[in-house]
Amino acid sequence: MQRQSTIAAPPGTAVSGWVLRAAATAQLAAGFAQPVFAGVYLSGDFDGLAWHVVGADLVSYLGIAQVGAAVAVWVRVRRAWPFWASLALVAGASAQYLAGMDGALWLHFPLGVALVAGIAAVFAAVWARPLPRRTKAAPDA
Amino acid sequence: MRDRSAPVSRRRMLGIGAAIGAAAAGGLALSAAWARRPAETGAELRSEVPLPQAFSVPLPIPPVLAPVASTADGDRYELVQREVDAEILPGFATRLWTYDGVFPGPTIESRRGRHTTVLHRNELPVPTVVHLHGGRTPAASDGYPTDLVLPDGWNGHGGHSMADDRAAVANLQREYGFPLDQRAAMLWYHDHRMDFTAPAIWRGLAGIHFVRDDVEDALGLPAGDRELPLMIADRAFDADGQLAYPSVDPTLTGEHGVTEPYLAGVLGDVVLVNGAPWPVHEVDTGLYRLRILNGSNARHYELEALADDGRALPLVQIGSDQGLLAAPVRHRSVPIAPAERYDLLIDFGDLPVGAEVRLANRLGTGRTADVMQFRVVRAGERTPIPETLADDLPEWDRSAAAVVRDLAFRAGRMDDGRHGWLIDGLPFDPARPDVTARLGDIEVWRLVADVHHPIHLHLVGFRILSRGGAEPLPHDAGLKDTVALRPGESAEIITRFDGYRGRYLFHCHNAEHEDMGMMANLEIV
Repeated sequence: MQRQSTIAAPPGTAVSGWVLRAAATAQLAAGFAQPVFAGVYLSGDFDGLAWHVVGADLVSYLGIAQVGAAVAVWVRVRRAWPFWASLALVAGASAQYLAGMDGALWLHFPLGVALVAGIAAVFAAVWARPLPRRTKAAPDA
Repeated sequence: MRDRSAPVSRRRMLGIGAAIGAAAAGGLALSAAWARRPAETGAELRSEVPLPQAFSVPLPIPPVLAPVASTADGDRYELVQREVDAEILPGFATRLWTYDGVFPGPTIESRRGRHTTVLHRNELPVPTVVHLHGGRTPAASDGYPTDLVLPDGWNGHGGHSMADDRAAVANLQREYGFPLDQRAAMLWYHDHRMDFTAPAIWRGLAGIHFVRDDVEDALGLPAGDRELPLMIADRAFDADGQLAYPSVDPTLTGEHGVTEPYLAGVLGDVVLVNGAPWPVHEVDTGLYRLRILNGSNARHYELEALADDGRALPLVQIGSDQGLLAAPVRHRSVPIAPAERYDLLIDFGDLPVGAEVRLANRLGTGRTADVMQFRVVRAGERTPIPETLADDLPEWDRSAAAVVRDLAFRAGRMDDGRHGWLIDGLPFDPARPDVTARLGDIEVWRLVADVHHPIHLHLVGFRILSRGGAEPLPHDAGLKDTVALRPGESAEIITRFDGYRGRYLFHCHNAEHEDMGMMANLEIV
C-alpha cells in the first residue's frame, strides 16, 4: 500500500532550511540546559556557575549562527520571519547575559523563562512546515 | 470542513507568537515593578514615634576604656554588662543592654602582641557570651555560642535549643584572654549567644576594639580627633520609644527566632551612627580617617559622600576587615554588609568652610538613604595620602591549597520544621563537626549564596580570589574576615588556618540568619 501525496510536487526543505532547523534544535537543547546548570549552581555546586557560563556562551553563538542561517532562508526560501524571530532571540539572549553578569535576578529569571519559551516557539515553527527553496521560475504556490 | 493537514495559517501563527510575547513582556514588567531593585534581604520595621530631623544630633564617640591594670605582660579590663535607659531619640528614654552602660560599648585600644584580658560581668537578665569579631583568639576565649555566662539566679540550664557537652559555662562573670598576635585592624566585640545573638546586638551589645601596630604607626595616618570610629546600625522604635524587634519570645529565654515576615532579616527605619540617629559631626578642611563598621543585623549600605554642591568626594580605602591594604583604592561609593569594616580616608580640603557633606546610602530609600553629615567649620592642614601602605599582607597561592570546599548558604527548613537558614542543607548543631581543617593548612572555600549572605570565618583572615567566577571587585582588596555575597553570587576565598587549634565557627553575619541555623563548626586540629 502506498500513500499518495496530496501535492503534486512535494516541497522538500532547502539546505538553508536544514541548517536553520539544526541551529534551532541545538539552541533548544542549550536553552533548556541553562536552568539545569543554574539549579546545580544554586544548590551549592560552585562548578555549576562555570557550566552556566558555558551554556550562556553556547546559546549566544548558536543564536548568531541561527541568524546567519535565517538570512540564507530569507534569500533562498523567501521567508523573512525566521530572521526576525532569530534576531529577537539574540537580542534577548544578550540582555539575559548582561543581566546575569550584573546579578540583576529580577530581570534574569523572568527573561530566562521568556527566552526558553521563545526558543521553543521558534523550534516548533521551523519544524512545523517545510522550508523549500524557491526560485523566480517557481514562485509561491 | 477544513482539511486537517492544512498548514496553520499565518494569522494564527502570529496570534500564538503575540500571546507568548505578551506573556513574556507581562512577566518582565511585573518583575520590574515588584522585585526590589537593588535587591534587599530582610523586612523593615516601621518606627511608631516621630523621628528626629536628620543631621541635628551631634555624633557621639564611644569612650575609650581605661585598663584596670597594666603590667609588662599586658592590659586588663573589666566590663559590666547591664541594662540602662538612654536617650537615643530626643525626648525618649530607651531601655538598652550595654557593655558598661554605653552604646556602642566602650572602645578598647590594644597593641599588636600585647595580651589583653577582659573580665565581663553579666548583670543582664539572660545568659551572654562575648565574641571578638576578627580576633585571632584561642578557642576558649572565642565566645563559642554555648560558652555562656549565666546571670545571677539563672536556674542552671543554658536556655538554648541544643545540648552541648563541650560548653564551658560560667556563673556571673568570666575572663576572656586575647593574645592579639595579628595585624592592626578595627575589630568589634559583640554578644554571640546561641539562638539569641540578633536581638542581643539589636539591644546594644556591641563595641569596637582597635589593634594598633608599628606598620600602621609608620604611615602617619590621621589620628586623634581626625580618626573617627563609626558604627552604623539601623534600629526601629515602638510607640513608647523602646527598641522594636519581632522576637517570637521577647523575653529571649524560650523559643528563638523572629516572626515569619522578618525571617530574612530585621531592618530598622532609623540609621544610628555610634548610637545617634543621623548625626552630624563638625570637621575642618583636613584629611580624616573613617573607621566604619556595619553593626546592623541585616541591612547593607552602599556609602557615598556627597557634598552640598553635588560632588561626590572620593572615598580612599586604605584598609579592610583585617587591616591595611597594600595600596590605597579610590572609590566613589563602597558597599558594606553586616560585620564588614572599611578604613577610609576622606579629604575635605577642596571644600569651603561652611560646606556640608552627606554620608549617604545608595541602597536606602526615604530616610534610610541618609547616614550622617559632616559640617566643615574651620580650615585645617592638608595631609598627603600615602601611596603605599602595608607590606605585611599574606599571599596564598591556590596551588598550595590542601583542600577545596564547596559550601552552599540557602533557605530551608530547620529540624523542627520551621523556616530557617542552612549551610550545605543543615542547620547549626554544636555537636556536629562540619569542617575539620588541619592547623597550618591552606584551603580554598567556594561559597554560593541564594540571597544576601555576609559570610564570616572566626580565627582567620582570608583573601578573596574570585567573585561570581570573575575577578574580585575593587573593594575586595586586602585581608577580609567577612565576605558579602549578593543574591545568586559566589566567591572563592583562600586562607591558612593557623594560630590555634580548637572549635571555632563560620556563619552568615545576617544576625537573624545566624540565629536561625546558618552557622557551622570549624574544627582546627
